[in-house]
Amino acid sequence: MDFIQLLEQSAPMVWMREGGSLWGYPAILFAHTLGLGTVAGVSTAIGVRILGFARRIPLSSLQPLFTLVWVAFAITAVSGLILLIADASTKLASPVFYVKMLFVALAVVCVTQLKRAMMPTPGGSESGGRGWALGALFCWAAAITGGRLMAYIGPINGLG
Amino acid sequence: MNLNLPHLHLILNHVPTVGTVIALGLLATALMRKSDALARAALELFYGVALLTLPAYVTGLATAQVLKEVPEVSAEAIARHHDAAVIASFLMLFTGGLAWLALWQTRQGGRKNATMWSVLVLAALTLATMGGTASIGGEIRHPEIIVGEATTAEVGPAWLRAASIQAAVTENVWLWPGLEAVHFVGLAVLFGVIVVVNARLLGWMSAVSYAAVHRLIPWAALALGVNAISGMLFLIATPEQYADNIAFHAKLVLLLLAGANLLYLTESEEPFRVGPNQPVPAMAKMMAVSGILMWIGVMYYGRMLPFIGGAF
Repeated sequence: MDFIQLLEQSAPMVWMREGGSLWGYPAILFAHTLGLGTVAGVSTAIGVRILGFARRIPLSSLQPLFTLVWVAFAITAVSGLILLIADASTKLASPVFYVKMLFVALAVVCVTQLKRAMMPTPGGSESGGRGWALGALFCWAAAITGGRLMAYIGPINGLG
Repeated sequence: MNLNLPHLHLILNHVPTVGTVIALGLLATALMRKSDALARAALELFYGVALLTLPAYVTGLATAQVLKEVPEVSAEAIARHHDAAVIASFLMLFTGGLAWLALWQTRQGGRKNATMWSVLVLAALTLATMGGTASIGGEIRHPEIIVGEATTAEVGPAWLRAASIQAAVTENVWLWPGLEAVHFVGLAVLFGVIVVVNARLLGWMSAVSYAAVHRLIPWAALALGVNAISGMLFLIATPEQYADNIAFHAKLVLLLLAGANLLYLTESEEPFRVGPNQPVPAMAKMMAVSGILMWIGVMYYGRMLPFIGGAF
């Protein structure tokens, strides 16, 4: 915990948190929002195709979208880590944070399995993956809800 | 010309009433003459009027804040006008959403008369409510239009009145965080689907026809509808956070532009003709880039409400 507090009180984190610049805390927060919107939203677009909408889109053509999902996930994870360090003693004490992380981990598993299920098979069948698609949709929605609720449940310090 | 928010409200408040009258007439004529072109024009107009109802509502909130300070203006008259405006605006948003659906169906080649007739009926109801709203609004500052006694009856069902919604948010501490979670999930679905559809126009997934990707757009429209409703509830619950907030005004302007861009994705012939492995016209590419940027802008100014606009 001491190391975390050292990071939390380091000069860059103090500037980001308390400097009042739009390029500080607000910019990281926005990067996190944009990232999560892309990750969860593009996953949803893939998911609804698996669940039977827009059937004229061949599943194999959706594969490049997973690259976009992982790039956006990296942006969300890095910005999320910075937001966490900047406010570590509050966020690490919040039970909601751990629930949110659980849902993020589950969602990542679902998306990974979904990608695997969508690989073209020798038989050429385009079924399977529905369970993973539903799981991904649910877990991303739960993770987003958890993230929002962190501003309201448990220890709160007023950072948006 | 110095145009302040109350002045802007007096200009914009004509759009939902006059616009709906014209669109309603156009749609009725289109259904009688069985003219697809006329029907599309009417539906586009309904969609545009629904979008412009948002700034009409927001500038109305700002006007109410200003008039609150003027002693000779009746607070009850403003509250009645606001309650009517809430109902009329929700009806207008539903009309616009249904008109959007009819346009999407028409583009997919499945013109559904049932949807168009539903738009017609809902629009007539919206017009009656919007007309009533305008009339009550006029009474706030125009005693000369009042025949006999001024209207004093309360407007609409109790649960839909602004005061009830404000009280619900104060009394139920979970309502606001819950709505925020819904608004964020909606933002993700809307943006994700927009990115995927525009990705095709930017040359990704080029083996797929645009017409196939077009089938995903209703999910974006549904999410936009959910966020319009949750967003309206935020506005009704705490108008002082948004009415005079520069970040919110920027968000609203970008939302109108992004909404027009969504109409291009839904309606336009140009992207729809792009088949598998076919090149995309420069105009469609430009619309794709600008559309993604405008939605990013909408999210940016939404997230910046506390930092630029000083809300919350």
